[in-house]
Amino acid sequence: MKVAVLIKQVPATENVKIDPKTGVMVREGLAVEVNPLDLHAIEEAVRIKERTPGVSVTALTMGPPAAAKAARYAVSMGCDAGVVITDRAFAGSDTLATARVLAEAVKKLGPFDLILAGERATDGETGQVGPLVAALLGVPPLTYVSGLEFGSAKVEARRAVEGGHERVSAPLPALAVVVKEINSPRLCTLSGKLRGKSAEIGVMSLADVGLPAEKTGLTGSPTRVVNVSYPKVTRECRKVSADGGGAVEAMLGFIEEVGV
Amino acid sequence: MSGVYGKVTPEVVAELRQKIGDRNVVYEDRDALENYACDTAGVIFAHNPDAVVKPENAEQVSAVMETASRYRVPVTPRGAGSGLAGAAIPVKGGIVLSIEKMNRILEIDPVNRVAVVEPGVVTNDLCKAAAEKGFLYAGYPMSTETSFIGGNVGTNAGGGKVIRYGSTRRHVLGLEVVLPSGAVVQLGGKFRKDTWGYSLLQLMVGSEGTLGVITKVIVNLEPLPGRTVNLLAAYPDLDTMVSTVAKVVQSGTRVISCEFFDRFATKVTTDYVGTPLPYQDRTEAYLLIQIEGNNDDEIEAAYEKVGKICEAQGAFEVFVAESRIDSQMIWNVRQNLAEGMRAYDPYCSLSGDVVVPLSAVPSMIKTINRLAEKWRVPVGNCGHIADGNIHPLAAKPDGMPPEEWGEYAEQFFHEMIEEAVKLGGVGSGEHGVGFLKLPTLLSTKTPEERRIHRAIKLAFDPLEIMNPGKLVQGE
Repeated sequence: MKVAVLIKQVPATENVKIDPKTGVMVREGLAVEVNPLDLHAIEEAVRIKERTPGVSVTALTMGPPAAAKAARYAVSMGCDAGVVITDRAFAGSDTLATARVLAEAVKKLGPFDLILAGERATDGETGQVGPLVAALLGVPPLTYVSGLEFGSAKVEARRAVEGGHERVSAPLPALAVVVKEINSPRLCTLSGKLRGKSAEIGVMSLADVGLPAEKTGLTGSPTRVVNVSYPKVTRECRKVSADGGGAVEAMLGFIEEVGV
Repeated sequence: MSGVYGKVTPEVVAELRQKIGDRNVVYEDRDALENYACDTAGVIFAHNPDAVVKPENAEQVSAVMETASRYRVPVTPRGAGSGLAGAAIPVKGGIVLSIEKMNRILEIDPVNRVAVVEPGVVTNDLCKAAAEKGFLYAGYPMSTETSFIGGNVGTNAGGGKVIRYGSTRRHVLGLEVVLPSGAVVQLGGKFRKDTWGYSLLQLMVGSEGTLGVITKVIVNLEPLPGRTVNLLAAYPDLDTMVSTVAKVVQSGTRVISCEFFDRFATKVTTDYVGTPLPYQDRTEAYLLIQIEGNNDDEIEAAYEKVGKICEAQGAFEVFVAESRIDSQMIWNVRQNLAEGMRAYDPYCSLSGDVVVPLSAVPSMIKTINRLAEKWRVPVGNCGHIADGNIHPLAAKPDGMPPEEWGEYAEQFFHEMIEEAVKLGGVGSGEHGVGFLKLPTLLSTKTPEERRIHRAIKLAFDPLEIMNPGKLVQGE
């Protein structure tokens, strides 16, 4: 049985900055890492592999050639193989164009019985790519998965929903988008890092994926960033000193002024 | 000087209020005074001050000291209260002088590569301000998020980066100090070389408020380090863990930190933080090593080299944490060891701080564990092992009344320190002496050393009003 994990390399920062002129994320000078939420998808895939004989796990990432580092990291954690899907034609892809590329790559490398993805990437914060890939592949999407049982013909998932959990199952193949509550990603061991370093990372181009060029990159992306603005902080503090009395009157006056 | 100390009378308080303002003097407010009765040594050692003053600048400190000298009232300087040896506890009563309102970063000077700060600046705030300008403040006590820079100077604080950058002493270039008489002196400056007489500056560092009150600090700044990677090596026994350390330090890699924690300390701390470490049920000791590199290739080469040393010396697994999240997870355990032990036992004594030559660390750890058994004290060991600095965190034995525990713990530590001294070490590497370790300090120093210490004390503080009962033999 085969499991695929979709991962993304993101800037290693909690403070993503957007260029206000171009609307594009500022990536220059930032260290990169595997999207922290994808680590839970990798961990789950490796756990399935460890408890299920005959399972192999492939990590796929779309990005610049340097994103091979993310694929190596996945191998370091225990994945059997890593693939980076990279082509200049992919530049500027939005979530739909990205999902098209990933879905085609999954088809080419598959068939996979289960596809795992993280809830969302910490840079774009859309959470759309996983479910989009499922739709494009025509497989059931299981979202907000906080527990997973993987059988020979179906997958059972525990979904985190508002106010509790629900249990759902789906026939295989299926795609599961996991949330961080599902597990604690392991630390890489030294031997794992060495395995990741020496692993042969597969490389797929636009031609390998077999997608028409107009379906990806900026031209294949219906999303347009027309404006970027930051919410205006509207809270206003006013300090009323109790020295010399009159604080209560001042507060009452303020309440009347704002019309509470 | 002999004779009794003066009392903090309403007359003294009126004078203080007149000099530094009502809002900066606390008196007869029991609840407010209690906040200044103890430090992190523990509430069992609490002793209320008679008054607390919170001067806002050197002039006000000077005014307080002038009054205190005239009435011969004891003055105990206090930073954040994060000290572990009781140095900020006013054991003789009198006035606690809190530096909490002197908390401005006055200058980050890129040309001279220094920061000028008031003593009440939180160390972490200084680190952040320096980082924003592309610099590192390398003094790094583990209490960096709470401790004040003034307290760091007062105790010559160490921490997790001493193996690379040295203790606080190495980073203090200048000080403004108010002497007990109220006189203000400027020591050192924005320079790094000085053969201009005895170094009173260095004498102030680690003097625990017994010689004067620090009102301004000039610290050295370093260039920001490159990228870092953290290795966590799990060992089946303490000996193999210790055998790794010298080889790692000699490996030619840029080691920033080399920390260890044993099985018991790990267990209680991971219970506290809620994140277990891998293989902790069969790990007797972990080694946490942080290494610096300029780029991916250097980082990879460094962790491979050091990781293989760990494996060759007997680590049964070595983990590599490169990402923020993995690194934070591991360091979170290291930085919460004291809190973890206090969660396990609120009376846990954190004052253990012995230092021995690295070659003697295996003997020292064996001795600590032997004494722990002899004294029936549950001990979790951790420390900055490459510095030979071990912190035995001692929990109160089951059933022992808390009021007996403080003295019992110090007797336990006393015997431990005597053994450390026999191994060529000392009783404290970074926590300081305070009053908790004073009897042991005196018993391990020669009469000649004690005489010189006392002469120095009296040269600065002839009335012995500065933090009496700490660090040196009193009258």
